[in-house]
Amino acid sequence: MSDQREDRAGAVDAPLILFVDDDANQREQYRIRLERQGYRVRSVDGADAAMEALREERPAVVVLDIAMPERDGLSALQELLDADPGLPVVIHTAYPSYADNFLAWAADAYVVKSQDMSPLLEAVARAVQKHPPDGG
Amino acid sequence: MPTVASVSSHVLAIVLAGGKGERLRPITERRAKPAVPFGGAYRIIDFTLSNCVNSNIRRIIVLTQYESLTLERHLYRTWNILSPELGEFIDILPPQQRLPNRWYEGTADAIFQNLYVLEQEKPRWVLILGGDHIYRMNYRALLDRHRAEGAAASIGCIDVPLPEASKFGVMQVDAGGCITGFQEKPNEPTAMPGRPDRALASMGIYLFDTDVLVRAVIRDAKTPGSSHDFGADIIPRLIGDRKVLAYNLNSAEQPGPAYWRDVGSLDSYWQSNMDLIARYPEFDLYDEEWPIRSGLGSRPPAKVCVSTEGTMGVVEQSIVAPGSVISGGHIRRSIIGPRVEVHNGSAVDECVVMGGVKIGKYVHLRRAIIEESTEIPNEATVGFDLEADRRRFKITEQGVAVIPRRAPF
Repeated sequence: MSDQREDRAGAVDAPLILFVDDDANQREQYRIRLERQGYRVRSVDGADAAMEALREERPAVVVLDIAMPERDGLSALQELLDADPGLPVVIHTAYPSYADNFLAWAADAYVVKSQDMSPLLEAVARAVQKHPPDGG
Repeated sequence: MPTVASVSSHVLAIVLAGGKGERLRPITERRAKPAVPFGGAYRIIDFTLSNCVNSNIRRIIVLTQYESLTLERHLYRTWNILSPELGEFIDILPPQQRLPNRWYEGTADAIFQNLYVLEQEKPRWVLILGGDHIYRMNYRALLDRHRAEGAAASIGCIDVPLPEASKFGVMQVDAGGCITGFQEKPNEPTAMPGRPDRALASMGIYLFDTDVLVRAVIRDAKTPGSSHDFGADIIPRLIGDRKVLAYNLNSAEQPGPAYWRDVGSLDSYWQSNMDLIARYPEFDLYDEEWPIRSGLGSRPPAKVCVSTEGTMGVVEQSIVAPGSVISGGHIRRSIIGPRVEVHNGSAVDECVVMGGVKIGKYVHLRRAIIEESTEIPNEATVGFDLEADRRRFKITEQGVAVIPRRAPF
């Protein structure tokens, strides 16, 4: 990912990333990193909050954790896509095994969490490029 | 690869039993179409489920939706025959409403909403069936062809005379049976290769490699404007990308002559019932090689007897289900369901009489469908004056009267 976007951090027209994860530390870490890439970031701690956020503003990409205490990300994924079938979703989980789960196949990308954040940033960038916000 | 013996156990059959059956109203007013009584002893879904069990496909999920109480009760009581210990089941699955306030928007959406079931079961192949057709088919032969040809999906088809094909989804195939195109109810259907007088009509039966199915319904769910239908959306998109095979029911490895009816209208419902009463019908319920299971249990045999008035009961060219008593009545060319009573001096001609109907004395019924548990009072007459009947009953295009439970006699 180039750093050309850095000067756009927080810009109102920057693509919005909806980051869904129950771990507050991770939300903060990734928010900082994604904003540095020039995205706007809205972080929420679970599936219900994600649905609410989706109603308020359509994000360019949803980054979705799977193992969350209230409701798992895979059932949330179906509901997100039911509300907005074209919504790009990147699954972001500590578990590689869910990649074989049929429900996960509905996501645009599947990224296993690691210290190295670049796979996630690349997946987000690809999803943003594939689904430009103007629908083109 | 699985062994020959175990291949069928890797198939999950999903029976789509949620359709409203609008064109069969009023007989689908209080029951889903698959639960509609048929052929005296059966309900429509019994044909599909018997095909499954006879084909050794014994992992079955029935997706229900509207007016499913009668259907569910029938399945619990009649089809409680498989062994969960052997990994066999018929599970009844009403919409889980995992997605808020959503009914199924089409056949493909029904599968999309139940992806979690495929995830739980992880079958190698998924067989998608309707619960509302009358036919006999060995699905195992379909599976064998599917595997031998290396198809991603296979569609059950039946060849029909070209002029009749306009009523169906018609497959265009190459000489090897691979589908190259699909026409929905075409004005000018394409003939089969080498058979200029026949066309291949879809029976609405789909066998998929599971991964192909999952990707296809996800892609469909994300496609704006899709009607989420296997015939209209999933198959046309798939034939460009993958090998999709047309499997003709009219194949040597199938049991008996090819017979398939979509009982989509009241006239076709009446006619397919009438088809059964021939001495050697195309669809033979008496074929012991391919039994159709019914839910009649321990009812006593049908009885035809002299009435107290001294009139002999007579049954001509008809099917009479167990538990029925024809006491001094005359039945001709009719299907009589279980626990029906026909009393002295009454004549029933070309009728489909569902279970529990009581026909009084000196009643005359011709060309009628009579709803379950209806009481027909003494001296009532239907089928002789269409205009008079029309004021009381629904009359089909072919002039068949449909007599509802609380009939206005």
